[in-house]
Amino acid sequence: MAAPNDSRTTAATETVLVKVLFFGRLKEIVGAAEDAMELPDGSPIEALFSRYGARHPELARFRASLVASRNQEFAAWSTPLHAGDEVAFLPPVSGG
Amino acid sequence: MSELSQNDLILLVREPLAHAALVEHVRQPEDGAVVTFDGCVRNHSQGRRTLYLDYEAYDSMALGKMRQIAKQIHEKFPIHRVAIAHRLGRLEIGETSVFIAVSSAHRPAAFEACRYAIDTLKRTVPIWKKEYFEDGAVWADGEVPPAPVETRAAKPAS
Repeated sequence: MAAPNDSRTTAATETVLVKVLFFGRLKEIVGAAEDAMELPDGSPIEALFSRYGARHPELARFRASLVASRNQEFAAWSTPLHAGDEVAFLPPVSGG
Repeated sequence: MSELSQNDLILLVREPLAHAALVEHVRQPEDGAVVTFDGCVRNHSQGRRTLYLDYEAYDSMALGKMRQIAKQIHEKFPIHRVAIAHRLGRLEIGETSVFIAVSSAHRPAAFEACRYAIDTLKRTVPIWKKEYFEDGAVWADGEVPPAPVETRAAKPAS
């Protein structure tokens, strides 16, 4: 919990741009393979997904079966995002 | 798109896979065995007749995950060389979608490593297939990759 006099946490958070990729059925729902989103620096991947879920309710239905990635590695939904990060929401994989 | 590291061959291709070239790549004079896995397009899925498949990948991450699999099987098994190739795009019935070749001095390592490689690929590599039937198309039921444990500290996955 931030102390009120901690200037680092009370300062306005910088907004950063992240790249977002969609694959498989998610690409069909969103209607694009790639997008860019501005959000406060340090926002978790979950917050980014919520924005798309609000735009595309059908996307939100798949949340339980998705895994997130940040910069080509699987990442926890709580992972904070920073400028230039590449995020993808990955449906269950079916290669092979 | 290809990557050559430490004599392993990791590929995503959009044309028919060259099985013989992959086998020749891993087969060296010091090897006593080459084990291959040829994953091919089946003409039926859950009781329906399949017409063809269409594969897509998160290319950069898929190559990274395939490289990690090659690294893992070198660590786990006394093998020599590995080739892992996956095809993308439209594939007809009977065509090869994935081909894995592993060489080793003695056969048990190559058998086990090849099995480990395909099982891990199917669970962790971001590739998806859409199945086309006479009456429509669906994204194949897949496997949910093992996700990093959620932590409040939210340190980036390494």
